[in-house]
Amino acid sequence: MMLLAKLAVGAATTLVFATVYTFREGTVRVDVDELREGGAHVHVWAPAAVVPMALYFVPDRKLEKLTDHAEQWAPIARIAAQEMRRYPNSTFVEVQDSREHVKVSTAGSRIEVDVEEPDENVHVAVPLTMIDDVIARIARSQPAA
Amino acid sequence: MYRASQPVRRLAILVLAGAMLSVPVSLVAQANSATPSSSNTSERWLHVRVICTDSKGESVRVNIPVEMAEKVLPAINKNQLHGGKVHLSDSELNGVDLKTLLEAVRSSKDGEYVTVEATDADVRVAKQSGFMLVHVTEKNIAAKGGKASEKSRVDVKVPMKVVEALFSAGKDELDLVAALRALSANGDTELFSVKSDDSTVHVWLDSKNVAD
Repeated sequence: MMLLAKLAVGAATTLVFATVYTFREGTVRVDVDELREGGAHVHVWAPAAVVPMALYFVPDRKLEKLTDHAEQWAPIARIAAQEMRRYPNSTFVEVQDSREHVKVSTAGSRIEVDVEEPDENVHVAVPLTMIDDVIARIARSQPAA
Repeated sequence: MYRASQPVRRLAILVLAGAMLSVPVSLVAQANSATPSSSNTSERWLHVRVICTDSKGESVRVNIPVEMAEKVLPAINKNQLHGGKVHLSDSELNGVDLKTLLEAVRSSKDGEYVTVEATDADVRVAKQSGFMLVHVTEKNIAAKGGKASEKSRVDVKVPMKVVEALFSAGKDELDLVAALRALSANGDTELFSVKSDDSTVHVWLDSKNVAD
C-alpha cells in the first residue's frame, strides 16, 4: 500500500513538473471561425515550448524553402519581438474599414493578431519568447553564406 | 535504516507540495510582472493616424515606440534603406547639395523663406522658434469672380534638431535613426498633418501608447 502511495506521489510529481516545463513559455492559441454556413471552426491551444521542438523534426531543406529570404526578415522579426516584450498591453497597428478589422497588439508577454472579416474571424496569440526560438531554429536551417 | 518520524515526514511533504505549487504561481507572477501599464513617461511613441471619410470609412492607426523603431530600422536592408540610413541617388537630389542647404537654413535667423501664392496652391516654408515649418494649401480653382475653397492642407512641423540629425550622415544620405533619437528628446510634438476632402493624416509624438 505504502509502495503504491509512493509511486503515485512520484508519478504526480513528474506529471506536475512535466506540465510546468511544457507550459513554461505559455501557450499558442489559434482560433479560426468561418462564419458561412458549414464553415470550419478551428481552435488550437498548444504549449508554446512544443512549437520550436516540433520544428526540429522538419527537414532543413523543407524549412529553407518555407523560409525563403529569412536572412532579410528574420533579424527584423527577432529585434521586433524582443522589443515588443518591453511594451505589454499595447496596440501597434489597427486597421478598420466597413468590412474588416485588423489589430496587432501585445497582451502581457504575448503578441496577438486579430482579423475580423464578414465571413471569417482569425485570432492568433503567440508568446513573444517563442518567436525568438522559432527564428533561431530557422536561422540554423539556412545555408551558411 | 533511518526512518523519519511522522511529523518530519508531514513537514517534508508540506514543503514539497508548497514548492511544487509555488513553481506555477511564480511563473504566473513572472508573466504578470511583464504587464505594467507601458506608458512610462520617458517612453516616446510615434503615432500615425489615417482616417478616410469616403464610403469605406477606412482608418489606420499605428503606434510605434521610438526606441523600438531606433532598434528595428538598422536591421532593415532593403532598396535604399541600409543600416538605418536612406541613400539618395543623384537623380533624386537633382544636383541639390542638401547639407549646404541645411547649413544655410540652420545658420539663418527665424523667418519665412518661401512664400508662394498661386490660384491653385499656397506654399509657405519658414523657420520659427527652433522648428522648420512647411504649409501647403491646395485650392479648388474658383469660378470667375468666386472665392477659391480649400481642397487640402498639409502642415509639417519638424524640430530643427531633428532636421539636423536627419542630414548628419553623408552628403547624400538621410540618417533616420539619428533623427528618431533627436525626436525622442523632444516633448509632445505634432509633426505632420494632412487634411483633404476625403481623408486626414496625422503624425505626432507623445508618451502615450494609444492613438486617441
